[in-house]
Amino acid sequence: MKIDTTRFGMIEADDSRVITMKSGIFGFDNLRRYIVLIQDPKNPLCWLQSMEDGALAFVVIEPCVIKPDYHPEINKAYQTFLEISREEDIALLSIVTIRHQPFSVTANLRAPLVINMDNRLGSQIILEDEQYPVRYDISSVNADPQTITAKAASL
Amino acid sequence: MLILTRKLGESIQIGDEIRITFLEIKGKQVRIGIEAPKAVTVHREEVYRMIKEQNQQAACFVGVDQGNLADIWDTLAKGRNGI
Repeated sequence: MKIDTTRFGMIEADDSRVITMKSGIFGFDNLRRYIVLIQDPKNPLCWLQSMEDGALAFVVIEPCVIKPDYHPEINKAYQTFLEISREEDIALLSIVTIRHQPFSVTANLRAPLVINMDNRLGSQIILEDEQYPVRYDISSVNADPQTITAKAASL
Repeated sequence: MLILTRKLGESIQIGDEIRITFLEIKGKQVRIGIEAPKAVTVHREEVYRMIKEQNQQAACFVGVDQGNLADIWDTLAKGRNGI
């Protein structure tokens, strides 16, 4: 499929790369189809571009890159909803908010995007566990973050 | 808004598949049970709204005039390394 985007011009993606959000991203429920655009594999920040609205793209990051101990429980209902049969098929992405004046970069660890790599169905889920912040400050991460993982690279 | 009065243990049915049952009242708190298909997500309204607003703010970043992602990552790395 093909779309004219405001950020990247005309992009064309094979259907096999498209991720279908089975329930949309909150606030954008009517838009279901996205692709991951990786600009530089050494930079873990990448784009999630809507394939239905050229003006809509989110900056996303794999939460494990910024918080290595991030292992939220994905409850059974969501696993069934996304037809997840093997845990290793689960890829997680956090939506990143970048603000200027003052500059801040935060990632939403409370509501990750859960993607079944096997069938490319995804959903934004809200974790019950309140320990995960909606605005996790990436600039305060102490450990040197790794680059993008093989999993995200294959998205 | 449709307003209904129910007794404890009674339910309301929304469409064919959603049922809400009123389980308990304690002071100003009400406990309710929700039965809904898996495709329907159920969340506390304030949490849902917070996530939705966060998504909308995230979508405002256009990236072009505001610096590309490589620059942003470099800025963060410098901050981490105390440069």
